[in-house]
Amino acid sequence: MIAGGKSFRRAVARRVFAFELNNATYRIESGDKAIQLLLPTGVACSRIFLVGVLLDKEETRPDSDFWKVKFSDPTGVFRGFVGRFQPDALETLLKIEPPEIVAVVSKIRLFEGETATLVTVRPEIIVPVEREVRDYWIVETAKHTLSRIENMKKGGDELVELAWRVYNPDLDAYEEKTKEVVKTVLEQHSVIEVKSEGDEETVEEELAVKTEKEREEVEDLEISDLDEFEFEEEEWDLSDILED
Amino acid sequence: MGNRINELASQIAEKFRSSGYEVSVKDVYKRLKLLIDEFKVPENEAIRTVTNYFIKEFDVPRDQLVIAESPLIKIADIKSPGQWVSLKAKVVQLWDSSSPNVSQVGLIGDESGIIKFIIWAKANKPEVKEGKCYLFTNVVSDSFAGRMQVNINRNSRIEEIDEDIQLPPREIEVVGALIAIQQNSGLIRRCKICNRVLTKDVCPIHGKTESYDDLRVKGVIDDGENYYEIILNEENIKRLTGIGLDEAKSIAMENLDRNSVLSELKSRLLGRYYKLRGTRGERYLIVSDIGVLNAELRKEVEKLLEGV
Repeated sequence: MIAGGKSFRRAVARRVFAFELNNATYRIESGDKAIQLLLPTGVACSRIFLVGVLLDKEETRPDSDFWKVKFSDPTGVFRGFVGRFQPDALETLLKIEPPEIVAVVSKIRLFEGETATLVTVRPEIIVPVEREVRDYWIVETAKHTLSRIENMKKGGDELVELAWRVYNPDLDAYEEKTKEVVKTVLEQHSVIEVKSEGDEETVEEELAVKTEKEREEVEDLEISDLDEFEFEEEEWDLSDILED
Repeated sequence: MGNRINELASQIAEKFRSSGYEVSVKDVYKRLKLLIDEFKVPENEAIRTVTNYFIKEFDVPRDQLVIAESPLIKIADIKSPGQWVSLKAKVVQLWDSSSPNVSQVGLIGDESGIIKFIIWAKANKPEVKEGKCYLFTNVVSDSFAGRMQVNINRNSRIEEIDEDIQLPPREIEVVGALIAIQQNSGLIRRCKICNRVLTKDVCPIHGKTESYDDLRVKGVIDDGENYYEIILNEENIKRLTGIGLDEAKSIAMENLDRNSVLSELKSRLLGRYYKLRGTRGERYLIVSDIGVLNAELRKEVEKLLEGV
């Protein structure tokens, strides 16, 4: 946009699957700017847009208005917190009963513990949306991921070089996983096309099975390490909120 | 490090060669290495010092070398500060200069983009006029508050040219997700005299005044690479949600709260993908046409799977 008056730059909302985001561990130091996380595919990220399933919400203490949330895409989970400083997200979160498909705009936080790092999300907006939006998000996110992978292969860019040094990512694995996920969009579609003429229950069931499956995947991903610093993370997040 | 110096040395030597002076790369390299490696002089200072040394050594007329190093490029190719370039561009807009050091300031544009320019008073150049096209030779890029601009200084030249340079289209098409709805959206009141939006029933110009209702959304469309601040008018909103001004008023009445309109619009509009066309203003994209994105998923997926 043409420059004029105050030049306030908003951070773009990246499209990134959970399995990539959760592999990110490196914070880009940029002085006054908000924290920027370096993604394994070589771009800086401080905000994301995701469309997935709200799997779980849990108030950390009764009446604290501070909620632990968990969203899932077909590749893993996004963990995070919603508090009073995200009034829009909090307002809608209270009305939603998981599991439900939601669109989420979120800031990214990186917790650096002694033995591991953990990426958390801090949603600004949570809105229930239609299934088609989720399907398009998967396709769009795959498109963006594949194009970042291409850029990594080309090299040259400063952040790309940094990502090679920090993560040395297995790009083939990323590519394979991304394509796998895209295929599920078509599979789901064929399921719905066939069943839509029949009774709705089957579709519901299908959805339930899917969610169950996602849950399992999630459990698989929950490394035992995570529990150990769950408390620390919370404490850290709270102090951070106070600063806001 | 050695590689980097090698690279810089050949660049400097090449610069002299293109102006017709043979400078030995080895010689340049030795001098650069001494400054950068031994004396830890910052790279750009080292380059300047070495370049100046050879300019004196060969008695190169300064502007001859400068001309040789300022290629004619497009505005979109200006990506980092400190680039010496030449541009063919049209003066899009002149702003009021806020400092006695600045002779003129405003925007210039070519087919590829628009950029801010500053003509320093010290540069001592004739004034440019809005709507005319010029060849700007030897201008230097700079970044100010996160945006690129070009500075016109003593070494620059400005010549009017008899060409009409096309500016980038002001109307653009965007596909992206609506990821934010900003303040002063929903059911708003406008001043009857100037149409400005009232905050707390007060017009910023006319104070307490007669007003009328309007419906609008100021929001942010994000495509994962860029974001666009957009304004939707009543017609756009009605097409997307079925809520027009009348419906909005009755929602506000039912809930005894004008803000309930905004909540309703947020839950219906946020987080979805849209395809829209709009005209660029200074900050906002004024939307002329918008619809929910109707993507052919199967095709998109197939393209992705075979494309790589």
